[in-house]
Amino acid sequence: MKNYGEKYGHFEMNQISGQWRRWLAPIIILIVALSIPAMGSALWLKVFTSVAIYTITALGISLLYRRLGQVSLAHVALMGCGGWVTLRLSHAFHLPFEFQLFAGGVFTAIVGMVLAYPALRMRGLYLALVTLMAAGGFSILIGIIQFPNGGDGFAGYAITAITHMERPYLAQSDEAFFVYCIMIAVLAYALVYAHEHAKPGRAWALIRRSEASAMAAGINVTFYKVWGFALSGFLAGIAGGLLAGSLQFLDARSFPVGESVMIFALTVVGGAWHWFGAIIAALLFRLMPALLNDWGVSGDAAFIFFGAALMHALATAPKGIAGQIAGLASRLMKSGDRHD
Amino acid sequence: MISIDKLTVKFGGVTALDAVCVDLHATVCGIIGPNGAGKTTFLNVMSGFNTPVEGSITVFNQPLLKMRPHERARWGLRRSFQQEQVADELTVFENVAVILDALRIDRADRHAMIDAALEFVHLSDLRNHKTENLSSLERRMTEIARCIVGQPRIVMLDEPGAGFSQTEVERLRDVLIGIYDFSGAMTLLIDHDVDLIRATCVETMVLDFGSLVINGKTEDVLEDERVRRVYLGVEELE
Ligand SMILES: Nc1ncnc2c1ncn2[C@@H]1O[C@H](COP(=O)(O)OP(=O)(O)O)[C@@H](O)[C@H]1O
Ligand SMILES: [Mg+2]
Repeated sequence: MKNYGEKYGHFEMNQISGQWRRWLAPIIILIVALSIPAMGSALWLKVFTSVAIYTITALGISLLYRRLGQVSLAHVALMGCGGWVTLRLSHAFHLPFEFQLFAGGVFTAIVGMVLAYPALRMRGLYLALVTLMAAGGFSILIGIIQFPNGGDGFAGYAITAITHMERPYLAQSDEAFFVYCIMIAVLAYALVYAHEHAKPGRAWALIRRSEASAMAAGINVTFYKVWGFALSGFLAGIAGGLLAGSLQFLDARSFPVGESVMIFALTVVGGAWHWFGAIIAALLFRLMPALLNDWGVSGDAAFIFFGAALMHALATAPKGIAGQIAGLASRLMKSGDRHD
Repeated sequence: MISIDKLTVKFGGVTALDAVCVDLHATVCGIIGPNGAGKTTFLNVMSGFNTPVEGSITVFNQPLLKMRPHERARWGLRRSFQQEQVADELTVFENVAVILDALRIDRADRHAMIDAALEFVHLSDLRNHKTENLSSLERRMTEIARCIVGQPRIVMLDEPGAGFSQTEVERLRDVLIGIYDFSGAMTLLIDHDVDLIRATCVETMVLDFGSLVINGKTEDVLEDERVRRVYLGVEELE
């Protein structure tokens, strides 16, 4: 027998010290995020609240892309679905915010499962087009029925008399709601982590290797594909509900098809293969235009940058910005190890 | 025990399997034949990836073709592919665990079963390593562990020895010989390495252009004139 200990010895050591290192970056990011309200700026707090919310959406997109190789160009529309249900239930029943949020997530998970149906037959560009059409359909539909704002009837929409949605009991202020969103984002990460490191994660890994190998291992490929879409939809629905809670009403014009495409592109740019890629995507999506506006440049200039970044990602950095940062960090740590 | 009756598979104009009738009884059965003979197609029909136009397969007195592919795996039909199919994002342990995920087995048994399978293929030391760092023989062994863990009934290996050196093939051979004692499963082995077939297979069937040439005791089959003719000019049998 070959001596494996010798061959992989260095590897073991790195793994042990890697244990705490793995949690270092998430904890730092969390601490930085939680100190944002201390900046005392209402404008930036709003921006960072939406960064937290879109992080959850991007997390769902990257899960689909990474695990099932599927492209969804409908995730902002899915947020709209979650937002609609959350608002509707809130105005009708005034239940605790968490119930409505969860219901919005579950409803959107079901919509995600419907989107999975074409994904069982097609992939790549064709599926992307189907999701894009779904997003287009949603924006037409929502333009007609509008978001509930305390009105009567099924749609719950009234042209006058706008009532604001209630926020969570514990998070009435903007500061508290921001922290609330961060906490939900942490839970969303935990949910994805729990999936990826258990049965569904193993099933997805084999499906991505090849569907034949997955079937040969007894995996119900259809079930796990649908499950991936459901989970991804659930996350988008939760994000939509949080957006409703953040603004306390939603506007039919705030879920354009273009944004669904944009957030997908930025998820690829941010890096679908690393956990913080979703955060980078959300920062680019919401913080970047706000920064440009602040500097007196039109926020639309961000689109030029996004286009260039997408080209860059597709051509030279398939693992995205997060992949490049992770590569840099591991090189730095390795050279650090050599010195001490 | 596998009973195959008039099994016919067509791809457009190509008849990949042509009314094959054969009963396989031995603990280890070899399947040989030149490239394009229909060996992989036969495994694909067993797995449920290709649908025959005609014929039936009975495994241990159960009709196989009615089951969906993943149900066959849960029933105990396992296989490896000509092209290795280890998932690099997973550890060696997880690559084997996928099989048990589909079966209802409790946690303690699960670990014991996986560890026994890894021990059997000499991968215990690499248990928690990501497979991307493994050699190709170690990857092959991971696949074999995946095939034998749990309670497999039939293990089908598609050219497991292809691309390995003499010493590597010998290590593989020692593992293959032990599969029946380890798991009680019947093995179907496709390979071009006649020494490997001779050393492991009790019985062997020969396919050529989708038709069964002969099936019988390995030593008889390898001596048969018809088999020599099939392989005429193919050096492995010289
Ligand atoms: N999916 C397929 N589509 C079309 N033809 C195929 C397909 N799979 C196999 N064939 C054909 O069937 C014949 C048998 O192939 P195969 O079973 O792979 O042979 P072997 O494994 O014995 O080398 C070959 O002529 C091959 O080209
Ligand atoms: Mg073949």
